[in-house]
Amino acid sequence: MKRVPFSPARVLLIARNTVLEAARQKLFHFLLLLALALVASAQWFRDFNFGAPELKFLSDFGFGAMAFFGAALTIAATAQLFFSEIENRTALTLLAKPVWPAEFVLGKFLGTVAITAGFCALLTALLAAVLWSRETALMREFPDAFASGRTFRYADLAAVGFLQWLKLAVLSAFTLLVASFAQTQLYTVVAGFCVLVICHLQYLAQETYGRAGSVLLHTMGGLVALLFPNFQLFNLADELGAGGAVPWGRVARVTAYALGYIAAAGGLAVFSFRKREI
Amino acid sequence: MSAAPIPPAIELRGVVKDFAIGLRGVKLRAVDDLSLRIEPGQIYGLLGPNGSGKSTTIKIILGLLAPTTGDCAIFGVPAGRVEARVDVGYLPESPYFYRHLTGRELVRFYARICGLGGPALAARVAEVVAWVGLTEAADRRVGTYSKGMLQRIGLAQALVHDPRLVILDEPTAGVDPLGAAAMAELILKLRAQGKTILLTSHLLAQVEEICDRVAILDRGRLILEGAVGELVGRADRQAIVLEKLPPAELAELRAWLAARGRTIESIEQPRERLDRIFLDRVGRGAAAGKERDA
Repeated sequence: MKRVPFSPARVLLIARNTVLEAARQKLFHFLLLLALALVASAQWFRDFNFGAPELKFLSDFGFGAMAFFGAALTIAATAQLFFSEIENRTALTLLAKPVWPAEFVLGKFLGTVAITAGFCALLTALLAAVLWSRETALMREFPDAFASGRTFRYADLAAVGFLQWLKLAVLSAFTLLVASFAQTQLYTVVAGFCVLVICHLQYLAQETYGRAGSVLLHTMGGLVALLFPNFQLFNLADELGAGGAVPWGRVARVTAYALGYIAAAGGLAVFSFRKREI
Repeated sequence: MSAAPIPPAIELRGVVKDFAIGLRGVKLRAVDDLSLRIEPGQIYGLLGPNGSGKSTTIKIILGLLAPTTGDCAIFGVPAGRVEARVDVGYLPESPYFYRHLTGRELVRFYARICGLGGPALAARVAEVVAWVGLTEAADRRVGTYSKGMLQRIGLAQALVHDPRLVILDEPTAGVDPLGAAAMAELILKLRAQGKTILLTSHLLAQVEEICDRVAILDRGRLILEGAVGELVGRADRQAIVLEKLPPAELAELRAWLAARGRTIESIEQPRERLDRIFLDRVGRGAAAGKERDA
């Protein structure tokens, strides 16, 4: 009997097909266009800056749009692209070939993170263009304030965009884990948004874990803090907007942290999918 | 030294499959103690009414479902292993494929999934696309294909890696008589190439015409299995087809038989099969059907 090894080539084929499928979905076009329009129009919302410096406000606004629409896109794309394979029975044809369930799950995951990578790259590039344009106007208006040149560190925008993308990749892995055992797409989407909220509020669980007097609260806080990643760690926009340099050591640590959660959620998704009845 | 015995193409031994239904996990038995042995080179029909367990059996054979108890092997390899699927081509019922791909891209995608590559890939894809008669339509998107063309491109993707076993789940469902005849012709060609074919179908006349053996399932249980000729033929009866006899000669024949202790049980007018008349009158045959689709 000839062994069939795990094949990265098959994973990439499935991922590529997932991206092509996504490119046809109108919902994803809509989310992308809405996010692009919001970032492009950021300078018309400057009056709502709540006292923050103007360029920092624009940066926060842009990354806020990326986080919000990125999360919606990630959950919708992961659930939709997984369940379309199951409901249309293309998964049946695919898995009847010599394909490992892990290759299928990993292919779906990589396809989805490729879509969110494109999304984050586009929005980061557009945000950089908006910031550059506004800073140029401000330099003309207030030359004294910019006597030493531009104040915004554009190269560091990429690091913030990268961490945003990494956060979406973790969210995608968790959504895929839910999809691997869920019976409906709606359940997966709702559970995905619940995961998003829990991960954003995970720091509260950490605080509870540290301070709780009752054993039950202490245990629950500890469990939530362990099972769900803290999405606040992925936010570098504050440092960037304040004119500080990107702390690359922190970026490396957060990357390792994200990869750990992706590996754990992905591994569980593969285990669960192997038991699934297609 | 004698050659190793060739393992059966498919062997199921005491397969049971239960599904848990609802929150309380009430068990529904979809397949009940099924044992089958399908030898290589046969066209084997798996028949039964809806809900009889045919699709579940196929999924167990493909390793997509694990049996609750019992074993299943393909050419001696346990069906749950990925390696077992190297030698299997599968055409699902009412196939849905990635609609954004052209027919050629679709077959190429599945060929690469099966590990084909290099210079041989394009040639093999072209070969199977031509074999199912879709060369002219190969560069059209699958989304524009008719039902019959979808079945044929489905067959092409099932065959692209040259499997020894081909599983066809309702290959003629929803296809017009010309398409069904074309599919039957392709299945017979596959057998001539030495492949084993397992098919399910509700077109019993077609199954009778092309299958070597059949198994009939009902509520998950095997109720009948055997060679088609043995199942449908009656060894103790003969039919003699004559030119129409005048009443006097018929009476003479009866008297002649009666003198030998024999009787005529029934006298019937032979009937043409409606599908044959349809195919003859439409006059183009299966090949012409392909051209029309293309």
